[in-house]
Amino acid sequence: MTNTVTWARVKSPWVLHFNSGACNGCDIEIVALLTPKYDVERFGIKLEPSPRHADVLLVTGCVTQQCAERLKRVYDQMPQPKFVVAIGACACSGGVFEGNYNVVGGVDKILPVNAYIPGCAPRPEAIIDGVVKLLNALNPPKPKKQPKREKQPQFPKEEAKPIVAQPEVLVNL
Amino acid sequence: MPKSEIDIISVIESKLKDKVQIQLGHLGTAAIKTSNGLHRDVLKAILEVDEKTGITAITGLDLGANIGLLYHTHTAKGFFGICTEVPKGNPKIQTIIDIIPGAALHELEVADLLGVVFEGNPSPRHFLLSEYWPQGVYPLRKDVKANEVKLNPASAEENKPPATGRLVKLIIGPQHPALLEPEKFSVTVDGEIVTKVEPRLGYVHRGIEKAAESRTYVQDIYLVERVCGICNPCHAYGFVGAVEKILKTDVPPRAKYLRVIALELNRLHSHLLTLGHAGLEIGYETLFQYFWRDREPIMDLIELTSGNRVYGSLMTIGGVRRDLKESDAPKIKTVLADLRKKVPFYKKLYQDERSIRARMQDVGVLSREDAIKLCVVGPVARASGYDIDVRKDFPYEVYGEIPFKEIGYTTGDTWARMNVRMDEIEESINIIEYALDHLPTGPIRVQTSRYVPEGEAVCCVEAPRGELFYYVKGNGTVSPERVKIRTPTFANIPSFLQTAIGENIADIPPNFVSLDPCFSCTDR
Repeated sequence: MTNTVTWARVKSPWVLHFNSGACNGCDIEIVALLTPKYDVERFGIKLEPSPRHADVLLVTGCVTQQCAERLKRVYDQMPQPKFVVAIGACACSGGVFEGNYNVVGGVDKILPVNAYIPGCAPRPEAIIDGVVKLLNALNPPKPKKQPKREKQPQFPKEEAKPIVAQPEVLVNL
Repeated sequence: MPKSEIDIISVIESKLKDKVQIQLGHLGTAAIKTSNGLHRDVLKAILEVDEKTGITAITGLDLGANIGLLYHTHTAKGFFGICTEVPKGNPKIQTIIDIIPGAALHELEVADLLGVVFEGNPSPRHFLLSEYWPQGVYPLRKDVKANEVKLNPASAEENKPPATGRLVKLIIGPQHPALLEPEKFSVTVDGEIVTKVEPRLGYVHRGIEKAAESRTYVQDIYLVERVCGICNPCHAYGFVGAVEKILKTDVPPRAKYLRVIALELNRLHSHLLTLGHAGLEIGYETLFQYFWRDREPIMDLIELTSGNRVYGSLMTIGGVRRDLKESDAPKIKTVLADLRKKVPFYKKLYQDERSIRARMQDVGVLSREDAIKLCVVGPVARASGYDIDVRKDFPYEVYGEIPFKEIGYTTGDTWARMNVRMDEIEESINIIEYALDHLPTGPIRVQTSRYVPEGEAVCCVEAPRGELFYYVKGNGTVSPERVKIRTPTFANIPSFLQTAIGENIADIPPNFVSLDPCFSCTDR
């Protein structure tokens, strides 16, 4: 049963996108993921508008004072197990906006973050890579079974010869 | 100088003789210095000469003992800055919203960030700042240190009681499926009909204007680009253009053409994005997928010319950072020719498709008079028959040399706004092709000093969403004294607040998306 649930979880992660103060660069790249060129729906990834149905929270942008409380509330509404992916330099650390008067900082100041995808803005391929790595971490690919080794023919061991120090040959002149 | 520009100045001089000081060629066409209270008379005088007058922005400056206020006014005949001052101890000034209603949000912004009281325009607790922000602390004043402000958790009043009786208050946002970005709109409805819309901005307010004061000019280019990820070359150009005006730098002609190519590629991708987004909002997802499919080749072109899909950082002070290879021009032309073939299909779709017409026509109608009064800009203004386009009115870079058509519609509804963008796609393709054909040879940048002398300048850019305004004040060091950004989306918000009233609640999404909303621009 656990295997089935994990399988379902890994094969159809529903993601919720929350912009906590981003410049729209990362957000538009996330939307671009859904469109024909990148088409992440083939991996079962679906953008879900409601936090109550989502498995993965994609956060873009530095966290502003107003959004901090909302971000926490959205996270609390998500059912367990839940995962947070910080997309872009600002979400990872605050980026260029670190230290501004209305900015709290990176997402990890508010929520536990499972995966960081750096870049400004990260390419869609990088976002796909990050999400796939997160999913692999949930369900680590099992080590491939080693093919059974055929029995090696046993050769009779050579008897060890005692090493005897050869006496130096002295040359008498 | 054309005769018409002298008209306005001579009228002001004759009416207000000794009370104003006029400095020609400063802050646009002319800077008009007055004392507190007379700014209204100057505005009225300008309005008498030219009824197409609007407020572009109100810049507040901390001048030590006083707070300077610059009312940047655009007319069909020129761009004026009306300068006045109020004492910091008692920062009171009369509002101008009875003369120009579109200035309301600009005044609220200055009130929140600099603590100026506009008599006659009552401001809410906070307009852009957090509800937890302490009262009496104004971030853009020089004595406020960004890191030292202590928030006051007890002062929040998030959930106001809902309206009683027949009226119901619906709260849209900050996290909402229809909004890609966090922003709150409290919509009061009577049944299905909207009676009032109240915005709460500031969820994406990052304090970029204050941050720009503590960084060098070169760092600021990268900072202001990050105001908005969609129209970032326009922001970079707005800042760079203003600094070049203070430095009095002449940009090489090849760099000017390369800048125009970058700005127009940006317009192409932004318009395709919006047209697709509109499809999503009216429940026509196929249209969304089609437009975004055709947007990807443009993103590849942006990557080809600037090096990155989103932040190319092409603009720099004195030119551009990257040259166009000769072998790249045919590639760009091939992609644009492909796009040009597809445009008639989309046009026909917008003309003939019944579901699009039913959801968009006669929705959110903004008349020409209202458009002028509310100071809207860009495609929203042009759809209402208000012909305002910075590229035509005050040509920058080489737009004066390039032939192109200014698009205009007269119906002023959502459908017209989307069609303006559709037609502008074709015009942008023409501009890029012309620029590629006439690309001069030569250097792509000139070296400039890191130190920018004392002085101030404004720069207007026609961003995909409309007129983008930058004001930069230098103080002789490596970092600016003040940077003011007025984004087109901020200027267009009042039109939504007005057109949504009296319409169905289901019409809010298409009406709103037709403004091409971008809250990261709006809040900065």
